[in-house]
Amino acid sequence: MFFHIFTNRLKCLLRDRMMIFWTLLFPILLAVFFNMSLRNIASSETFRPVPAAVVNDAGYQKNAGFRSALKSVSEGKDKIFSLTETTRKNAERLLEDGKIAGYLTVGDKIKIVVNRSDFDQSIIKSFVDSYLQTSSAAESILKANPPARSGLSAGLSGETDYLKAVSGGSADPDPSLNYFYSLIAMACLYGGFWGMKEVMDIQANQSRRAARVNLAPVRKLKTFLSGMAASLAIAFAEMLVLLAFLRFALNLNFGPKAGLVIFTSFVGSVVGLSFGAFLSSLVKAGENMKVGILISGTMFCSFLSGMMYQDMKYIVEKNAPVLGYLNPVNLLTDSFYCLYYYDTYGRYLLNIGLLGAFVLLFCAGTYFVIRREKYASL
Amino acid sequence: MIISVKNLVKRYGNLVALDHLSFDVEEGEILGLLGPNGSGKTTAINCILSLLKYDKGEIRIFGRPMRPDAYDIKRDIGVIMQNVAVFDELTVYENINYFCGLYIPEKEKRKRLVEEAIDFVGLNDFRRFYPKKLSGGLLRRLNIACGIAHKPKLILLDEPTVAVDPQSRNNILEGIQRLNREGATIVYTSHYMEEVEQICSRIIILDKGKVIANGTKEELKNMISLGEKITVETSAIHPEHLAALRRIPGADSVEYANGLLVVKSGKSKNNLENVLDFLKKQQIGYGRIYSELPTLNDVFLEITGKELRD
Ligand SMILES: Nc1ncnc2c1ncn2[C@@H]1O[C@H](COP(=O)(O)OP(=O)(O)OP(=O)(O)O)[C@@H](O)[C@H]1O
Ligand SMILES: [Mg+2]
Repeated sequence: MFFHIFTNRLKCLLRDRMMIFWTLLFPILLAVFFNMSLRNIASSETFRPVPAAVVNDAGYQKNAGFRSALKSVSEGKDKIFSLTETTRKNAERLLEDGKIAGYLTVGDKIKIVVNRSDFDQSIIKSFVDSYLQTSSAAESILKANPPARSGLSAGLSGETDYLKAVSGGSADPDPSLNYFYSLIAMACLYGGFWGMKEVMDIQANQSRRAARVNLAPVRKLKTFLSGMAASLAIAFAEMLVLLAFLRFALNLNFGPKAGLVIFTSFVGSVVGLSFGAFLSSLVKAGENMKVGILISGTMFCSFLSGMMYQDMKYIVEKNAPVLGYLNPVNLLTDSFYCLYYYDTYGRYLLNIGLLGAFVLLFCAGTYFVIRREKYASL
Repeated sequence: MIISVKNLVKRYGNLVALDHLSFDVEEGEILGLLGPNGSGKTTAINCILSLLKYDKGEIRIFGRPMRPDAYDIKRDIGVIMQNVAVFDELTVYENINYFCGLYIPEKEKRKRLVEEAIDFVGLNDFRRFYPKKLSGGLLRRLNIACGIAHKPKLILLDEPTVAVDPQSRNNILEGIQRLNREGATIVYTSHYMEEVEQICSRIIILDKGKVIANGTKEELKNMISLGEKITVETSAIHPEHLAALRRIPGADSVEYANGLLVVKSGKSKNNLENVLDFLKKQQIGYGRIYSELPTLNDVFLEITGKELRD
């Protein structure tokens, strides 16, 4: 029975042109469009080192580890910062004049001083974050396990570790990637179209087909889950197509963790699917209304996570961080971002965990609507 | 007893759609549920099928209480909804196969049944068509095939002939009778009295969610006083003629409007001859003249005071 429903749902879904457009063609078209406009920008300016300053005082001189780390990412062809070592006063003036994106002071703590929050500032911040992460992790291990010292200090002094953390392992930092990450995240959420359709085709008060399906001697939940399995298969397959298109047609480099990128897209498909199902169970109004809400909701979330205007992501991060955590598109975008830029998994796992919580919420909500088998009105 | 409905009450907000509705369906019959638009036919069917929640009442099918998860009961029921309910993305064949497959897991058996259903509704030339490409009548036939492919013992049809051309309609009605001959018990709802008269072995007339009459068509017609209705097409009737006509014994009602003279009389009062005599004597010219036995519409009219169809 599962197979019968599964295969027929596959047929039904794959032949729905509107769905295929929104879930597959639209993201691909958008990617092509992004690619064209970003290539134009990129050809006029390749990655530009972030202008930054560091206050050259006793604290800075004392912290040799940080100093060498900072210097190592401010040298050479692929440098991240064009660094000025200067006095605090001078640094302040440079910042005010807009000559630098921010400056660092090294005391008991490392402080970042910036005027506003955007991509450049966030690079400074993520550098410092990952330095602190690496070094504080090192310290706590050192206290607990002194013999590890020799190996660790080798790792620490070879700045390569956190250098890698910032510049993304083997990959060069590519600010345009974030556009594509939020695009992938958006495409995941558009998988919601499938979930939406599944609910409409199982709820007798939402479509006539569903009423007929409800009359059959098959458990409703079984019918629904078989259909959802078909939907998930399609949604995920579409994500793979999109990823392949980005990778091979547009030559986008997702960094070394391809497996995890695919896994994250799978999680994204599940999020999208359950989101669509949940939405469809809540909103009883017609299909057009649901499609409208799904598209505009996803677009708004994508906007907040920087799909149309990259700095948006940082503006949200700075002014309303909660909003970032409540936005599944942002969580997905950020997950991809973490995979690319960080060697550590803390933030990635947090994102995935939050996404899991969303899935649970959406599924539970859908279940409570779906499990009802009699309707007050059809 | 195949279906037993007892004291069924269904409200939509303040509107009482079914008002203590009770009736039974016996094995092997074609039961007609006749009622004007909004009388509660569809609501009754959907309650019987456990699609709708109802406020009160008891419904048993095949002697067992009907519930949404009564799969052993559902297995033997076929439903043709008032509105066409098929998948636009599946072809004629695939639609029938899909719905049939929800009842019949065995592939071989299902294949045979689907072919039979396609033959039955005469859609052989259209098996690869998508529903969007079918005419209204063909679509209705597909709708029927989807409901009966699994050879149910009980078939409920909710106005399956709405918006269907006369030829397709006859096909459908014949098909229903054929299913019945092959052993299926049928519940047929309609607001077309002609159809119901034509195929139903028993008729229940519904109005405002209540049973107002129940019996064979002969029984129903015997319930009322009207026996014969004579209609004369003529343009030369004066008020004094009407007065004279009303004096004919047994002529309960004589009316004249729009060039039609209508004389109604009670049972076994053959007044046709009297009316003809009168016309001849008065030298009133007339066109067509015909005498009718009462219809279900007259039954409905006499019980409720309004027309079945308006
Ligand atoms: N979903 C609903 N919400 C509110 N009222 C409804 C709903 N469905 C039906 N009704 C009302 O309940 C009454 C019975 O409707 P129902 O559809 O059962 O009639 P019907 O006999 O099938 O009519 P028709 O011949 O037009 O199909 C009508 O007055 C109708 O307006
Ligand atoms: Mg109806």
